[in-house]
Amino acid sequence: MSTESSILGNVSLSSDRLRTIALYVGLYGTAGLFLIPYWYMFATSLMTRELVYSEVPHLIPWDLTLYWYDYLLTSSLVVQWTGNTIILAGITTLVVILVDAMIAYSLTRLDWPGRRVIFGVIVASFMVPGIINLVPVYIIVSELGLVNSIWGVVLPSAANPLGVFMLVQFFKDLPEELEEAARLDGFSRLRIFTHIVLPLMRSALAALGLFIFIWTWNSFVWPLLILQSESMYTLPIGLVTLQENMGVTEPGVIMTSAVIASVPLLIVFLVMQKQLVRAVEMQGTTK
Amino acid sequence: MAQSTQQTDADGSGLDRSKSMTREWIAGATFSLPYILIAGTFLFGPLVLALYMSLHDWNALAPAQSQFIGFENYQILLSDPDFWNALWNTFYFVFLTVPPIIIGSLLLALGVNRDVKGKWLLRTIFFSPYVLTVAVVGLLWTELFNASGLIPYHLGGGNWLTSPELAMPGIAVATIWWQLAFNFIILLAARQNVPDRLYEAAKLDGASTGQMMRHITIPQMRNPLVFVVIVTFVNSFQVFGQPFIMTDGGPTFSTTTIVLYLYETAFTGREFGYAAAVGYVLFMILIAISATNYYFLAGDDQ
Repeated sequence: MSTESSILGNVSLSSDRLRTIALYVGLYGTAGLFLIPYWYMFATSLMTRELVYSEVPHLIPWDLTLYWYDYLLTSSLVVQWTGNTIILAGITTLVVILVDAMIAYSLTRLDWPGRRVIFGVIVASFMVPGIINLVPVYIIVSELGLVNSIWGVVLPSAANPLGVFMLVQFFKDLPEELEEAARLDGFSRLRIFTHIVLPLMRSALAALGLFIFIWTWNSFVWPLLILQSESMYTLPIGLVTLQENMGVTEPGVIMTSAVIASVPLLIVFLVMQKQLVRAVEMQGTTK
Repeated sequence: MAQSTQQTDADGSGLDRSKSMTREWIAGATFSLPYILIAGTFLFGPLVLALYMSLHDWNALAPAQSQFIGFENYQILLSDPDFWNALWNTFYFVFLTVPPIIIGSLLLALGVNRDVKGKWLLRTIFFSPYVLTVAVVGLLWTELFNASGLIPYHLGGGNWLTSPELAMPGIAVATIWWQLAFNFIILLAARQNVPDRLYEAAKLDGASTGQMMRHITIPQMRNPLVFVVIVTFVNSFQVFGQPFIMTDGGPTFSTTTIVLYLYETAFTGREFGYAAAVGYVLFMILIAISATNYYFLAGDDQ
């Protein structure tokens, strides 16, 4: 660079600057567009009826009200749906972590015949898109009498191949000496698993857990099929039926319910973004 | 306990060794059992059941009385104009969403990776839709596309979602906004894993930005790119929630995708056998597409 003539240097400098400006405009412009739907959602949820229904769409709620929140909290089951969603996502997360960690432990740390085949089958089962099993799984769940039960939603997603794959990568790196020492101290396999392996894997389990929690909170097709009474609904299902039941769409109600359904996760997202990024990155390196 | 095992091991007793081996086998199998049972009941069992169902005229009320009809469901399917229509709509949706999602997320990842101010903010914004449920995405964009909503007001077109021409593009826009996040994070991580020294060496050799992109960035990011392409294809092919919520497949069938069609034949029409056949055909299509992608994108090196 420095050896070039000053004129050329100036030209490349200004084209560098142009490029930087273009980069900033591109990135921040896109970011601005990305934010508009959020803004619209929050703004509409705070607008008075007159503003919501005016001819021209408003972006600024200059006439603020909590009317829609009040309406939703008092005349719909939104609070109960939130509770249901937390319970469902919590139970699913615990079950998936337990089931996945157990098999991941057995596949990496215990020597028994067939474990390679089983791991191969689990990896291959990534390729089976859940939606294809929609009909037969529904039949099985209803045969088991689990329609309209929380377990009808939890169990079909309890064996998560992605989780096994992620955990296997971590369990492999666990130093063997720790287990050896525990074995010599007379620890049983179960005790080694619960007292040594699980605590050591805390951060990997937390990343997986966060991912499963968000996944379950947001899941749609399966709760839609299985949870059939209004008092059982999760938030996503509740919102959609709310919109359908009103016939004419009520933007104020819809946007407010969307805020209620997304704010908890957006907060979790802001607080735990690092872990979530890590969980997503782990998926990218699984192939 | 442990001491005695050690002692007998020292004795070289084969009996004891095989005993501890058996114990290890039992432990291994026991730890795997919950997963195997659940996956067997809700993943592999259903795959077999779906095949079985697809070969029957399935009686939803009395499954035992279902009649075996061989491949008739598949034959009906091939001459079912709705199936072809739904398949076409799905391809159209894939065409509208996959290229923008891949190219958009790659550009954003490369951009954010640059030395820009507010990196954290940008990453947070682009990643945030990842934590939204399809219900929120669908309802939010339904309002944005409404006749009195923001988008028609600025871009025209009336209510996009009630127009046969604009409904699918509308769903596609919502999907792109929602689905960019996952690929963006994966590609950002992939770009950060490319060693800086490659670029430094190339710069010394006088390589242009475009050359570095073609010869370093893309080849170095190949595996994550292949992953992202396959996942995006597979996701777009299985689109369900967005049309279900935003348009219910309308207007005039223009946004009925293959999974929505499957859902409706099964749970509105109660034609379980037929829906299972649709599922299997979709499965085959997905395998073919993933294999093709893999062959063309990752096939020719190492």
